Amino acid sequence: MGISKLLVANRGEIAARVLRTARARGLATAVVRHRLEQEGPAHLIADEVVTIDGPTPVAAYLDIPQIVEVAKKIGADAVHPGYGFLSENAGFVAALEKAGVTFVGPTSEVIDLMGDKIRARAFVEERGFPVAPSAIEDDDPASFVERSRAVGYPLLIKPSAGGGGKGMRVVREDGALESEIETARREGERYFGDGRLFVERYIERPRHIEVQVMGDGQGNVVHFWERECSIQRRFQKIIEETPSPALTPEQRDEICETAAGIARAVNYRGAGTVEFIYAQDGSFYFLEMNTRLQVEHPVTEMVTGYDLVAEQLRIAAGEGLSAAQTDIPQSGHSIELRICAEDATEDFRPAIGDILLLDEPQGEGVRVDSGILDGGKVTTDFDPMLSKLIVHGPDRTQAIARARQAVRNYVILGVTTNTGYLDAILAHPDFASGNVSTGFLAEQAEALTAPGEDVTELLMAVAALSDERLVSDVMQIPEMHRKMGGWRN
Amino acid sequence: MRRIYQIDGDETECWLSHDGNRFILNTPDGAVPCQLDPTGAPGGHVLRARGRVQDVRLAVGPDATFVHMNGRTYAIGRIDPAERLAGRDGVAADDRIVAPMPGVVVSVNAKPGDHVKEGQRLLVIESMKLETSLTAPRDGVVAEIPFAEGDSFGLKATLALLAPEEE
Repeated sequence: MGISKLLVANRGEIAARVLRTARARGLATAVVRHRLEQEGPAHLIADEVVTIDGPTPVAAYLDIPQIVEVAKKIGADAVHPGYGFLSENAGFVAALEKAGVTFVGPTSEVIDLMGDKIRARAFVEERGFPVAPSAIEDDDPASFVERSRAVGYPLLIKPSAGGGGKGMRVVREDGALESEIETARREGERYFGDGRLFVERYIERPRHIEVQVMGDGQGNVVHFWERECSIQRRFQKIIEETPSPALTPEQRDEICETAAGIARAVNYRGAGTVEFIYAQDGSFYFLEMNTRLQVEHPVTEMVTGYDLVAEQLRIAAGEGLSAAQTDIPQSGHSIELRICAEDATEDFRPAIGDILLLDEPQGEGVRVDSGILDGGKVTTDFDPMLSKLIVHGPDRTQAIARARQAVRNYVILGVTTNTGYLDAILAHPDFASGNVSTGFLAEQAEALTAPGEDVTELLMAVAALSDERLVSDVMQIPEMHRKMGGWRN
Repeated sequence: MRRIYQIDGDETECWLSHDGNRFILNTPDGAVPCQLDPTGAPGGHVLRARGRVQDVRLAVGPDATFVHMNGRTYAIGRIDPAERLAGRDGVAADDRIVAPMPGVVVSVNAKPGDHVKEGQRLLVIESMKLETSLTAPRDGVVAEIPFAEGDSFGLKATLALLAPEEE
């Protein structure tokens, strides 16, 4: 099967990260770039940069025929999709297959199965893995109340046609069940024109814990331990770490083996992540499986010492996994911070601007996977994530200290970023003690965005003294100022 | 030699002078002798003011100066009072809700003539795949919301205008 030339169908930090490993493995490399896109680190690493076009930059990256055509034209025998864009698109996998190009990832059947959340959940449940207890009204409307009761309290009623939290009701006691079902039904009808409902167990203060798995498609599956990603804003992760501070060694083995079992059940090929909801009482439930490399994969690399992209490329080339389960350590502690162009004090409003000065932190245990260059522009064309800061330390306390030092030394001037906000999270006592849930950022919003020391005067002095026009104007009229006298001490 | 500096939405007017030996920043709170010397690092400087010796990294943009200091990053908007006086239409800063970035209007939640409270949602926009609520900067009456649901707008477009405050 072998791979000699790899096309990366992605951009930003992940394109650069994949290209580095591909080059280290001696592959010829190419990356696509939209006509209007800023130059990024990936374009400096790849042997070849191929221009793509589309009505918007994002549309170009989603244009299956165009990207398959690029792969054929440049003679790439494999395509790495990164994350996002076409990474979980079964149609893309099929189109590449037809063109005789290897897709670095799972089969289109597995992508299809895991992409359908209801089918995936049913598949996992049928094979005896834990899913949150639930009841679907449509299965048998007459017994819906009875089946809801059997789910257990607290439970969450959701409109079947719903989304965005509308019409959802939390029920904590049996007495309220039937009236809440009727209320939810009316809300469902009003918001969605559809009163059908389903219920599931409501998990209070859940944590998000996921497990990295890797399979060779020949029945061999290993896991690379868990990652905890409970620090989320707007349902998007911004800090991830491994190991999870919530798990005992026994719980860790159980959740990691469960994930590997789910991957084995689909004869998984490539890198994947099984996501779980983890309840405060230690129970956990399958949420979904992501059939691609995750943004937060570097923390796994830092504690295991494995290059997950190298493993992906080995598997795609038919060389199989390089590791047996017992070879994969979980050594020390790693934390990733997503550096985003956004204003945390303004509800995470995305920010744009020119990068006037960029100075990335360095040092022992510090890794930066960056998608930006000094002098570049941050536009609204793509996701606001600029780069990832990943640190490793011998234990969690030292990893947090290292992360704080690194993020405080991360200089990005010209566009508002969340570095100060990330530092405030790391400094929060509940983060230090590991006492967090997916609601942490919302619960602590005020504390995390509290203004620091008032340095207004110092900032104005810097702004004034670095203002060349102002300084030269002032220096041209010293006489007048001396006469004003009053300012002299 | 006046400047208006905008930090976290608050404006302060000050002026810079030199007494023959050193620069003095004159703020509403008093006169602050100060000195800024470059170091070797890109954008690196040492600020001396109010008895402090402070390492900073700075970059001067067209409208704002960006400063990294003690692990925090700050943007200081610079306004030349002369230019503001010559300004286009004399609308006060807090009467106007300006697009923070290009995007699309998702929903309009107020209409001209509505009395709104500070913090009340006026419209929801989507930019970079994220929805953001834009809220009234003060109590007042909506004068104008020029865009409708589904409309696209550019950076710094006026998305809503409050009627001027009556003194």
